[in-house]
Amino acid sequence: MDVATVVDIGRVEVARATVEFKGVQGKTVTALAPTELELTPGSFTALVGPSGCGKSTLLNLIAGFLEPTEGAVRLDGKEITGPVPDVGIVFQQYALFPWFSALGNVEFALKRLSLGKPERQARALAALAEVGLAGRERQYPGQLSGGMKQRVALARIFAAAPKVLLMDEPFGALDAITRASMHRLLLDIWTRHRTTVLFVTHDIDEALLLADRVHVMSRGPGRIVETLDVTDPRPRTVETRSPQVSAARAQILELLLSSDH
Amino acid sequence: MLSRRIAATAVSFAAFIGLWWAISALEIVNPVFFPAPPLVFSAALEMLEGGVLFSDLQVSLGRAAVGFVAGVVLGLLTGLLTSRIAFFNLMLNPLLSLCRPIPAIALVPVAIVWFGIGETSKYFVIGYSVFLTVWLNTHHGMSMVAETYVRASRSLGASRSREFVEVIIPAASPYIMAGVRSAAAVAFLCLVAAELTGASGGIGYRLQESRQYIRVDRMFVSLIELGLLGALLDAIFVAIGRRVIHWEQM
Repeated sequence: MDVATVVDIGRVEVARATVEFKGVQGKTVTALAPTELELTPGSFTALVGPSGCGKSTLLNLIAGFLEPTEGAVRLDGKEITGPVPDVGIVFQQYALFPWFSALGNVEFALKRLSLGKPERQARALAALAEVGLAGRERQYPGQLSGGMKQRVALARIFAAAPKVLLMDEPFGALDAITRASMHRLLLDIWTRHRTTVLFVTHDIDEALLLADRVHVMSRGPGRIVETLDVTDPRPRTVETRSPQVSAARAQILELLLSSDH
Repeated sequence: MLSRRIAATAVSFAAFIGLWWAISALEIVNPVFFPAPPLVFSAALEMLEGGVLFSDLQVSLGRAAVGFVAGVVLGLLTGLLTSRIAFFNLMLNPLLSLCRPIPAIALVPVAIVWFGIGETSKYFVIGYSVFLTVWLNTHHGMSMVAETYVRASRSLGASRSREFVEVIIPAASPYIMAGVRSAAAVAFLCLVAAELTGASGGIGYRLQESRQYIRVDRMFVSLIELGLLGALLDAIFVAIGRRVIHWEQM
């Protein structure tokens, strides 16, 4: 059964969006060349590319942190003009509030729903339990390891029930083992919530492990140069990947190497 | 670890007093100008029994407290305005930045002309310096809030007022607290400066009075009193900071 028929909310359309900055000496710098991108509801898409290729720009555009110089970004047909809770974001630097406990951080996301305090706490506790942090709710981010911090960030974002989840190199700062367990956790939660995910990474293997579709970006100016579908069933491992995925990996690597001057 | 630190402190104090005692015992200088520890100790007893030790403390602390509280409140409010509203920043920032390099001590004569040698001139000098210190730190702290926190807050659907209370203020609070702590030290400095130039009580006044009678022993008592009081106040502010901004020390 096609995922798109199950969930019909969370469709993102980037329609010929361009981002330009005024650089030094009034020169116009194109951070993102006219870009078309569609994220189908419930899909998992990865963006790979070298640093400075505009993948964070594209992400910030969809998050509503940036406005396109030209073109538009739409969520379920409605134009995105600023940050909204329907579009959640997980940052590489966690962006947890260190002055709130793990519970306080998750509750922060729930406050806009005007629930009663007991209901809010119960939901926050359930979200923390879902990411395997039951019993840690009173701890502060400063007392948690990098992996646990990112678990709190996941709990916080899924508690807010966004239609789209943007992830900006979320596991880039974690060690290999913690990363692998975070991949498993993320896929696990995603399978249950079926939020549309856009995952930015510079790690090709991570993209091929997680995503249904991988967009390869290149710099000067930032643009999507290739799109590949990954059809291997989940859970995937590097060892059990199909010849098609291996070929895709080689192709992506070649693209990234050729654009790296 | 703690006991080792206490022991080290005790040794250093003992060594210092020993050295002081040895130098004064050599009588290279007249004991009137450089009194030995026992002389200073008996001067302290004399001042304690005469009641001036505590009355000075009370008067000085009262002055510092009034000026400090007024300065902190004004500094916080102004810092809030200049960091959040561009208009106030454009209007006030250059002006306040020009005021900052003026040493507070230089204001004492002006304050005396304006307010006389009564309490108001002390409050003014202390309040003014505390205000500038707290303003600068508040402004800096609130302007430096990490963009990621603001972005996270907005994309999680927080209103601007909730963002201010739950994100901006806590994120800026380490800076603000550091400002308040250094403002306490500044208040102390200005207090003594103001008391030295005209007062009828307080530790600074006592120093000046002892000078007229060439009672260096009593001056030493006042200096030690200032040192202890300053250290105690600082320790209190550090302890408050640890409690309020509990996440920073982890």
